[in-house]
Amino acid sequence: MQVNRLDKGGRIDRSKPLKFRFNGKSYEGYAGDTLASALLANNVSLINRSFKLHRPRGIIGSGAEEPNAILQIGKGAHTLPNRRATQVALQEGLVARSTKGWPGVRFDIGAINDVFSRLFSAGFYYKTFMFPQSLWNLYEDLIRGSAGFAKAPKKPDPDRYEHINAHCDILVAGAGPAGLMAALAAARSGARVILADEGTEAGGALLRSDEIIDGRPATNWVETIATEIRGYEDVTVLKNSTVFGYFAQNFLTITERTEGPIRQREWRVRARQVVLAQGAIERPLIFCNNDRPGVMLASAVSEYIRRYAVLPGKRAVVFTNNDAAYQAALDLHSAGATIAAIVDSRRTGAGDLGEQAKAAGIPVMPGHIVTNVSGRKRVTGVKIATWDGATEGMVDESIDIACDLVTMSGGYSPAVHLHSQSGAKNAWDDSLSCFVPGEAVQACESAGAGNGRWSLRDCLEDGARAGKVALAKAGFDMPDIAVPAASSQAVKPLEPLWRVPAAQDPDRCPKQFLDFQNDTSVADVRLAVREGYRNIEHVKRYTALGFGTDQGKLGNINGMAVLAEALGMSIPEVGTTTFRPPYTPVSFGVCAGESVGELYDPVRKTAVHEWHESSGAEFENVGQWHRPWYFPLPGEDLDAAVARECLATRKSLGILDASTLGKIDVQGPDAVTFLERIYTHNVGKMQNGRCAYGIMLGEDGMVMDDGVMARLGDNRFYLTTTTGGAAAVLGWLESWLQTEWPELEVYLTSITDQYSTIAVAGPNSRRLLHKLSCSVDLGNENFPFMSVHDAELAGIPVQLFRVSFSGELAFEVNVDSNHALPLWQTLMDAGEEFDITPYGTETMHVLRAEKGFVIVGQDTDGSVTPIDLNMNWMLSKEKDYLGKRSLSRPDCLRTDRKQLVGLLSEDNTTVIPEGAQLIEDLSAPEPVPMLGHVSSSYMSACLGHPIALGLVAGGWNRKDEVVYAWAAGCEPIRARIVSPVFYDPRNERQND
Amino acid sequence: MFLIECPWCGERAETEFSYGGEGGITRPAEPDKLSDAEWANYLFMRTNPRGAHQELWNHAQGCRRWFGVERDTVTYHISRSYVLGDGVKD
Amino acid sequence: MTEWHEKRHGLEQRIADWTSRTGFTISVRDDLGHLNLRGDLGSPGFLAAAEETIGQPLPQAPNTISDGDSTIFWLGPDEWLILTPAEKAANLADQLESSLSNQHAATNNVSGGQIALTLTGERVREVLAKGCALDFHPQVFTEGRCAQSGLARANVTIGSIGGDNKFLVIVRRSFADYLLAWLDGVA
Repeated sequence: MQVNRLDKGGRIDRSKPLKFRFNGKSYEGYAGDTLASALLANNVSLINRSFKLHRPRGIIGSGAEEPNAILQIGKGAHTLPNRRATQVALQEGLVARSTKGWPGVRFDIGAINDVFSRLFSAGFYYKTFMFPQSLWNLYEDLIRGSAGFAKAPKKPDPDRYEHINAHCDILVAGAGPAGLMAALAAARSGARVILADEGTEAGGALLRSDEIIDGRPATNWVETIATEIRGYEDVTVLKNSTVFGYFAQNFLTITERTEGPIRQREWRVRARQVVLAQGAIERPLIFCNNDRPGVMLASAVSEYIRRYAVLPGKRAVVFTNNDAAYQAALDLHSAGATIAAIVDSRRTGAGDLGEQAKAAGIPVMPGHIVTNVSGRKRVTGVKIATWDGATEGMVDESIDIACDLVTMSGGYSPAVHLHSQSGAKNAWDDSLSCFVPGEAVQACESAGAGNGRWSLRDCLEDGARAGKVALAKAGFDMPDIAVPAASSQAVKPLEPLWRVPAAQDPDRCPKQFLDFQNDTSVADVRLAVREGYRNIEHVKRYTALGFGTDQGKLGNINGMAVLAEALGMSIPEVGTTTFRPPYTPVSFGVCAGESVGELYDPVRKTAVHEWHESSGAEFENVGQWHRPWYFPLPGEDLDAAVARECLATRKSLGILDASTLGKIDVQGPDAVTFLERIYTHNVGKMQNGRCAYGIMLGEDGMVMDDGVMARLGDNRFYLTTTTGGAAAVLGWLESWLQTEWPELEVYLTSITDQYSTIAVAGPNSRRLLHKLSCSVDLGNENFPFMSVHDAELAGIPVQLFRVSFSGELAFEVNVDSNHALPLWQTLMDAGEEFDITPYGTETMHVLRAEKGFVIVGQDTDGSVTPIDLNMNWMLSKEKDYLGKRSLSRPDCLRTDRKQLVGLLSEDNTTVIPEGAQLIEDLSAPEPVPMLGHVSSSYMSACLGHPIALGLVAGGWNRKDEVVYAWAAGCEPIRARIVSPVFYDPRNERQND
Repeated sequence: MFLIECPWCGERAETEFSYGGEGGITRPAEPDKLSDAEWANYLFMRTNPRGAHQELWNHAQGCRRWFGVERDTVTYHISRSYVLGDGVKD
Repeated sequence: MTEWHEKRHGLEQRIADWTSRTGFTISVRDDLGHLNLRGDLGSPGFLAAAEETIGQPLPQAPNTISDGDSTIFWLGPDEWLILTPAEKAANLADQLESSLSNQHAATNNVSGGQIALTLTGERVREVLAKGCALDFHPQVFTEGRCAQSGLARANVTIGSIGGDNKFLVIVRRSFADYLLAWLDGVA
């Protein structure tokens, strides 16, 4: 039963009842309700338990500021944590749960924390769980279990999310009166406009007001204006859309909660100008037990009554230090509630609204304060004291009034969050008693209540002004826009009341909550000061004030004021904490957008990929490439397949798809000069048609990349890079050409994808090519090791390189990728008589390790010089090259540097884990000196025993020494240091 | 996400660019003649200013040109971008 | 040329399926060959020789396309992409090599390394905006404009050519499967 639903009024659709469940019980609301308004309509006042003290909590607000009704929405994989009930549109079948309270929100064992709440003061966890340190992990588990606001779903999110990039002249955040005026001005001028509002419909605070604009109800005006704005071609109006981040160069992010197949959409907007019109957030008053269910903000009470036709209480006490709450009293009164009293801390009372209240017969108590609240799971009454305007000392709370609703207003604070995120400061306005946006540092204007303009007339005017200023800055003509007529009431100014005096000492009285979400009270802040905290940022971290998803929406200003009082400073001297994005919580789903599952990261595929796939290859990721790892026959595991692939290649013929190598075409009259400076070897001495193994060093002398390079002509070279290094190397080469040596005439073009590279390796590789009517003589004389020829294979034009990464007689075939798959198939068919065996990256690694060839990035890690790899023979003494000077730095000349060695396990059977640390003496006291580590390790089927490569301090002088390889979870393995070349040390096979 | 002006392609999103560190560092003409300290100074030492910073950026996803950017390290404000070799404009 | 595309048949079938679903049309342009041309506009004779060989102007303004028998994209101050009928690409590459042989210039036939896609339909600008930070407003990304940028997580060259809502998207061959899967997802 919707017992609190008013018979008429509201912006709900009574013809569309919606069923929903909360904490296992069924309820009914209407289309147009939020979850919060529907719960209140059903008289559900106990919504949740508080974060730390497990106190019963109800709904306080009606929008983004709500600190208590943060619920778990939906079930299973669809569940959404951390949603404010005030911002969840009611839907048929919606399921919501409290996030705190075990076994339930009505009886919560954790509430014992409240009984001992004095123990749970600021810094409780820091102080209590310090010792013994070894138990911290256990403590942390327990604390985390009882903390937190919700549960993350355990299954993959089945919903879809997306990103969209947008550009506009004017982005308007907030569709209240100011935002609408700004957007109207922008739209009429023909600008590209995005108007975003977090609500389900435009209007902002007007949706809860009875104000008149241009002689008609404000909501009618809203409808007319919103319809006009939507009608312009270059205007995008986003509802249910929160502008949650404001970043450099006017880049803003918006989450749109959509209807349809996409659950949420993230807009990434680049705006030339921004108008910030997010309005203001009402502040609570800080009295004892001000967190009891039934204590609500005045703006929220008005909104529930006028927008949702829900009466949140029958008998209300209104407590205020300003005029705004009188509106809530009038709304309550006209909805049929009894106003027990308006308790106004100001002895002067209110302006026009005060007169209206008196005329309605509402009792007003000026110069009084509400000091305490009775009732635990629901307000039952308040204690009231007279007050003379001084916060010092204790007061005599002699008046008791029974009520079921306390409506409070401590004034308004502009929602300066986005302004602050943009990098700008906020300025304290003494006359308004709030922070207002300070000088903008990006192209943005604040407007309306968010700019400290309280009356409707001021908001409309300020919105039009901001719109015009933004348009002018964006280079548009001022549109003709008249500010509509709206009333402006005589208002008596707010009198600051940051902390309501109690009948007891402020450190002993019942809890006066500043930050409801984080359970931070006045006493906590005062304790922090007593313990020596002075800076607001430190107090924030010690007390959790303004932490987490709340981001200080309700509690910050009151908290700063209480801190200022305790420190004997002014509020602007204390200053604000930094507001950080997101303004309200953003789901991980929408952060990821479409980049999930197979689209998480691009999968690059070679032109032969489909053959690998249909041949049952197992793949591994190398950079973004998906490369065949090994090709198992039925029943084979990795080890068996790799052993077979290795033996077949060494004995007869293997074939490898090496297309992922980076390939760069180098052309230009200065190509030699350029490459001489890049590579360590003598490039100029290379003859046309010859290849060389080349390494590139960083300027620090460390090996950066390697690969085969070939001289194709006087002024033309072909370079290969490692698979993962292709883009980085090209960028690196271009940086030297463009920034350091612009006088060199060289063009670099990436041809990585243009050519597929098929390596055929093994004693029968020459026979295979010969069989395919290779158009060039493959004999050693015409085609020696490390040379290149253009050729035709089976009628397909190719470039043939006689190079070897396996130590076998081998050729690499470069072919236009459009012909790669048919050529591969042709090679496979022709190779059948040689038992041609496709192999993957694992076998490639084993074969090269048997030869002691390093893989940059596996056997090197950015701290390895070519000298450490015993590659002195590649270092030209006749020229300068990048990194050369560094090789003579004292550190690079140390003889105890880590050097590349081979390692053999002493038992001849154990494969040492890669990454194992090498140590000399098992009994050495901790910390045990590390000699180095194992960088590559495999079982060699050809040799019949395991082999490994490693980097060992002074390794070359330790030949035949025994060290211990120790990896986590393994016993230490005795290993002997040997030469890194295990197979064919005289290189007879590749030259065959 | 920054909006960076490529001197050739115009304003583009930061994701199209890669950062190349501090600009204006010239590789010594004859490294062999430098002391270890002088070489280390070229290799490792950067100004790391609080405020205006001359930077190298590469329009990696676009025209692949390297160019100069003056960016404030406190406010992130980019005051200009320029073709290298043109010197600092304005 | 045909073998690879025959192998992509399954993918094209998938494209056909979602085309009819969303009213967003995409086709793989295997009729186009791709040449990458590098050259120095400041070098006497380069421009004249290149344009005479190709038979149409090289676009010199950044982010523009020259359309004719070939479609030429500006890629950088000294770099162009020439899309030309596939069967003519190898010839044109040879002709450019020889007519520019006394120039500091570089020609690479990259027909095997790139895939061109034509995207059309009313939703094409919206679809592109979902993965690319460029401004696709019809009055900004007008016909004859081009840009290199990122679409989803792939590097692409995008050009508006042949109609208001018609775009050519050129992507490296190894990224084509990924990009088509992404387009399928967002469209």
